[in-house]
Amino acid sequence: MSSTESPSSVRKVVVHLRATGDAPILKQAKFKILGTDKFAKVIDFLRRQLHRETLFVYVNSAFSPNPDESVIDLYNNFGFDGKLVVNYACSMAWG
Amino acid sequence: MNMEALKYVWEGSIPLQIHIHESEVTTVPAPPPALILAPRIGYLPLLASRIKPYFSGTLPPGVDTIWFEYNGLPLKWYIPTGVLFDLLCAQPERPWNLTVHFRGYPGNILIPCEGEDSVKWSFINSLKEASYIISGNCKNVMNMSQPDQEELWRSVLNGNLDGYLRVSSKLKLGIIGDQHIAASHLNSLKSWQSIGETDTTGQVKTGRVPVRLYVWCVGEDFDDFEDAPHIDAWEKISYINQPVEIQGEGKCFTLGDALKFLLPEYFRENSLIDEESSEAKGENEQKGSSEDAGGNVRDKDGEGLCENENSFQSVEAEIKLVRIQGIEPKLEIPFSWVVSNLINPEHFLHICVCVKVPQLTPYAM
Repeated sequence: MSSTESPSSVRKVVVHLRATGDAPILKQAKFKILGTDKFAKVIDFLRRQLHRETLFVYVNSAFSPNPDESVIDLYNNFGFDGKLVVNYACSMAWG
Repeated sequence: MNMEALKYVWEGSIPLQIHIHESEVTTVPAPPPALILAPRIGYLPLLASRIKPYFSGTLPPGVDTIWFEYNGLPLKWYIPTGVLFDLLCAQPERPWNLTVHFRGYPGNILIPCEGEDSVKWSFINSLKEASYIISGNCKNVMNMSQPDQEELWRSVLNGNLDGYLRVSSKLKLGIIGDQHIAASHLNSLKSWQSIGETDTTGQVKTGRVPVRLYVWCVGEDFDDFEDAPHIDAWEKISYINQPVEIQGEGKCFTLGDALKFLLPEYFRENSLIDEESSEAKGENEQKGSSEDAGGNVRDKDGEGLCENENSFQSVEAEIKLVRIQGIEPKLEIPFSWVVSNLINPEHFLHICVCVKVPQLTPYAM
């Protein structure tokens, strides 16, 4: 994608990963990823870091976005204070 | 009067002719295709129990994981059936010929689906997301009783509009200026007076409408949609999840206004919305500005050469089609009406747009 005409497409989004319940806390909880990346990338990253297949991942402790959603859309709609807060749990937290 | 519109939407169906993929046929002759009427507001995996009986006798050994494909494109199961049809079948094909698979799930293209539970999870989370957009939080959905949540889901599964309205009205997810829904069904309308007013649950309405926009950009010209190129990869579709805020009084903000906000790069000074004839009208013929006031600036492959030509005849990008619930609404229709009547049960408005751009290569996301 063009990087000069539309800054939002190469923009990076700050993602803040927060553990919920008894989920392990990550040593490094803040990351930057490309806005055009899908939310699936965040989920996969968490799975690898925590060595768990089953994870429940939410935005703003509210809902689980579709993994196909782009991070930039999620940030634009639900981010605040310059970051997207992503909560993760080992069992369903907000059913 | 407007219950009629909602009923049309809920009763809307796509006739499907479902063929089993040849690689999964072990009997001779191959089974004939299954003819299924699929609800527009439903989801393809929910049809599994109706489809399987047609083909279970022919399947090779293994575990069944259903997935669908149209013209080689695996179909994203979380997109409502009607939206898939509107988007992928520019020239509506009835019956819609789909291929069903029970093996070889394309995990590199489709997110996993484990039957009804996955679809329900996706639906409820979309509903929460919509609620968050409308009210700033999704407490109302989270606080739903289990029986209510179950009834809401069942009503969508069974296409039961009355049952759905009974439960969904408790969520108070109507939009601002929402005078278009029959009051007898939604007497909680009283709390929706103006933007920013706090309702009885202490929630402040944001005035924002959840929208899922699917833009298909085509690089070549075509007269009929029959001749349009097929969509063979999801990369050819630009999916945008962006809420639209209804400005000013509900009835003045049109569908066209909403599209201008969502896709500012495709609307120029000589706007498509006017829908005048293509003859010179003596209007100003200034070159459209490359950046509009609207929210996000998207990739603009649509900027062509505009040399003192009316926008219809210029080589700029041209919106060929706007489709919602299978209809092409006039852009002058109040957006609040479109939202109230054409919205999906999870409270998202799905809009399919086809844009012709003056490029040779297809738009890539």
